[in-house]
Amino acid sequence: MNDMTPTREQREAALEGMGCKRKRVEDVRFTQGKGQYVDDLKLPGMVFGDFVRSPYPHAKITKIDATEALKIPGVIAVLTAEDLKGVNLAWMPTLAGDVQMVLADGKVLYQNQEVAFVVAEDRYIADDAIQLVEVEYEELPVLVDPFKSMDPDAPVLRPDLEGKTEGAHGPRKHHNHIFNWEVGDEDETAKAFAEADVTINEMISYHRTHPSPLETCQCVASMDKVKGELTVWGTFQAPHVIRTVASLLSTIPEHKIHVIAPDIGGGFGNKVGAYPGYICSIVASIVTGVPVKWVEDRMENLSTTSFARDYHMTTEIAAKSDGTVTGLKVHVLADHGGFDACADPSKWPAGFFNIVTGSYDFPAAHLSVDGVYTNKAPGGVAYRCSFRVTEAAYCIERAMDILAQKLDMDPADLRMKNFVKADQFPYQSALGWEYDSGDYHTAMQKAMDTIGYRELRAEQKAKQEAFKRGETREIMGIGVSFFTEIVGAGPSKNCDILGVAMFDSAEIRVHPTGSVISRMGTKSQGQGHETTWAQIIATEIGIPAADIMVEEGNTDTAPYGLGTYGSRSTPVAGAAIALAARKIRNKAQMIAAHMLEVSEYDLEWDIDGFQVKGNPEARKSMKEIAWAAYHAPPPNMEPGLEAVSYYDPPNMTYPFGAYFCVMDIDVDTGVASTRRFYALDDCGTRINPMIIEGQVHGGLTEAFAIAMGQEIRYDEMGNVLGASFMDFFIPTAVETPHWETDHTVTPSPHHPIGAKGVGESPNVGGVPAFSNAVNDAFQFLGSTHIQMPHDSWRVWQAAKDLGAHG
Amino acid sequence: MQMNDSQRIEAPRQKVWEALNDPDVLKASIPGCEELIKHSDTEMEAKVKLKVGPVKATFGGKVTLNDLDPPNGYTIEGEGSGGVAGFARGGAKVRLEEDGPDATILHYDVDAKVGGKLAQLGARLIDSTAKRLAGEFFTAFAEQVAPTTPEETAAEDGAEAPEQKKGWLGGLFGGKKADPTAEEPAA
Repeated sequence: MNDMTPTREQREAALEGMGCKRKRVEDVRFTQGKGQYVDDLKLPGMVFGDFVRSPYPHAKITKIDATEALKIPGVIAVLTAEDLKGVNLAWMPTLAGDVQMVLADGKVLYQNQEVAFVVAEDRYIADDAIQLVEVEYEELPVLVDPFKSMDPDAPVLRPDLEGKTEGAHGPRKHHNHIFNWEVGDEDETAKAFAEADVTINEMISYHRTHPSPLETCQCVASMDKVKGELTVWGTFQAPHVIRTVASLLSTIPEHKIHVIAPDIGGGFGNKVGAYPGYICSIVASIVTGVPVKWVEDRMENLSTTSFARDYHMTTEIAAKSDGTVTGLKVHVLADHGGFDACADPSKWPAGFFNIVTGSYDFPAAHLSVDGVYTNKAPGGVAYRCSFRVTEAAYCIERAMDILAQKLDMDPADLRMKNFVKADQFPYQSALGWEYDSGDYHTAMQKAMDTIGYRELRAEQKAKQEAFKRGETREIMGIGVSFFTEIVGAGPSKNCDILGVAMFDSAEIRVHPTGSVISRMGTKSQGQGHETTWAQIIATEIGIPAADIMVEEGNTDTAPYGLGTYGSRSTPVAGAAIALAARKIRNKAQMIAAHMLEVSEYDLEWDIDGFQVKGNPEARKSMKEIAWAAYHAPPPNMEPGLEAVSYYDPPNMTYPFGAYFCVMDIDVDTGVASTRRFYALDDCGTRINPMIIEGQVHGGLTEAFAIAMGQEIRYDEMGNVLGASFMDFFIPTAVETPHWETDHTVTPSPHHPIGAKGVGESPNVGGVPAFSNAVNDAFQFLGSTHIQMPHDSWRVWQAAKDLGAHG
Repeated sequence: MQMNDSQRIEAPRQKVWEALNDPDVLKASIPGCEELIKHSDTEMEAKVKLKVGPVKATFGGKVTLNDLDPPNGYTIEGEGSGGVAGFARGGAKVRLEEDGPDATILHYDVDAKVGGKLAQLGARLIDSTAKRLAGEFFTAFAEQVAPTTPEETAAEDGAEAPEQKKGWLGGLFGGKKADPTAEEPAA
């Protein structure tokens, strides 16, 4: 060894492994406009498909006449449900066990529903042709209010289900009823309420919104009739599942279907499902024999492909007079729109909403969810959250504030009093989950100390007095939110999608020169997998992250996986990656032992290679070992150095966090300004702190949008309002508050590297922080609960209703 | 969308009533009206070109007159479809009140609903558009039943390069005076 020999620290730093603030490698192409998205794809002979959509939210279709449209030069075909019936594709199964029309079959159930698919030589011709497809509608009574769905005289939305008393999740009790889902002990909970000193009861609504990725849903389908092979490029968060579904529906063998998800411009749950656009493009390519491209426009995206939330949660808490909670009772009315296309694991009609006990030690709880049909778009996707976890977190965090108000207790103190304690983990919740790890008191205390919680409360008190004296027109709110998420779906014992267990996978190949290609069953849509996956591998096998290429999204090359959503990538695929890497390291150890002529038990791992115990100068680096694996492997050992791992997680992971929002509200204008927003996240082991920070910033910005204005609203006629960026709130740098981020680290005990997942925490925890801040501000004027979203007009209205305008 | 207002028209009530039942007058008064066919005393069919914000479409539909109470008023109801652009339906209660022998006050109470893309994109513009259209209708209608004095017309016609809106209005009543049955392109 000479002076040039790198130190251990230098060798470690060279890996850019776990814990390193490694710059995102994908940004090199994204910041130069060199990303390759679906719409960048141009194939010879490619044609374009576009939809004729219904202006009516509920109507019979008596006639579709495409004669005039077909006369336009360049129009190739106009597909209707009748055409799709020929290939048995007029309807498709949904992930939630329902069926959904691909093209309107005799009726439409929501505005902008797909009625016919026009295929033309270019998009402009298709658009012209759409105007000329003559559709005759016969209007039907419109059902917009989910609370009226199960009225005895409510219109029948789904005649196809007539007489069907058994749904995918048990009995249906009304023609517009989809399912009832019950969890928990009803009797125990009733007992807790009977014995309670204090109870609260509030209907807490989480309005309908939309993931709204900037890149809309799109695909190119290309059928090679000679080979009998179908290739589909698309915006797919779960490409392997899409291939399986495409095979089952089209009866094309799975190995003859190639699904490729190129770069994706944001998903947030919007790109999990299968949509009519994909099916119609595939059918159109099969019919025409040329590639067919379909690209949603903004209105189509916002108004048809997968809304989120729309949960109406009647929430009751029973407590002792000292604030100890004793029981939780929640009934949810879930508005699913015209079809139940909710993207949840098959056995979970309301996702993991039974995480609604949150971070608190409820001895008894009962939950009942009723899903209903309305004349709205189908969906119910997990918009940057694990399945229905955002709704649950909002429900319990709002309810805890309401309880604190009733008890005249500080909301942070009430939470501290009821937290599951660090020594209670693994913790069995009353609604059936086993929380893996947590240290809530430490996180909350750190957050309160950092933000100066007590001082803020004192300031608020003074401001309230000043307001009452007429010295100011500004009021102040402090939003407290302490959330526990449940992510990483999931264990095969209770999680599957259409029967496929929700494992994930990784394949790692070390090349002879010591560089690596690795492929996973997940698919990044902006999460930075190419950066972070390489960091896990770098730490595990001692090869610099810069020498590791990560590839996802091509079903021909990547191992089968269930995709990226519900913060499952790190908990599931991240574990598969670590385990595949460890297989490689184990084999490398045997090769190194052979090279050093010692027993493999005499070796120890040291950052980027193996060394002989007690003799660190006798060592082989991974680079040397890789070469040996291909050049001179030990006798009786297979050459090569690669591994595959399929990981079935033993449990979910439970990230948590403490968020505080300080808000100043002008009661006369309704303008709410966020003065400070502090987010402490505990996502277990931190792989790349910079990526975590970026994820938290993005998720908080979405939470801010949702809480403060973003909404898909319907008027009483069933018109979808909010289907363009004129009305749908997307915050820009102008509106977005400054974010302060912080963390604690409580590793997951069952995950190979202790990581829990973080991408969705800020959305889950952020929404209640904002909403609680607005509600907290108005509390001293006598308000108990103000529904979201808190846009300026509604805040002004709330101030007016409370008499704040004099 | 709801709208209540009244408009004073310099014409006797009987004349206003007749004009309100005259398809030619209505056609010339309804902004964007391309076709108005009278099938009976109470049924008409219309084709109207309408632009609300970014949505532009030709609406075809039926118009019926109910509660006829000459010369005091009627209820007008209509329903029209603009294809993929959406649809509209609604009605107006119209009441005529004498304001001396030579003038009439026309009270109207409109209740209309729009659907489809028109509502999705144009919702925020519907009220202002409706007010503008009502204004245009009454200006044109008043000119039909109570033409402006020739001096005013001459002054306007004589003006060099009149601004576009005045030019359109001028052209409208100018044409009507020369030949009440002549068809004028509605903008």
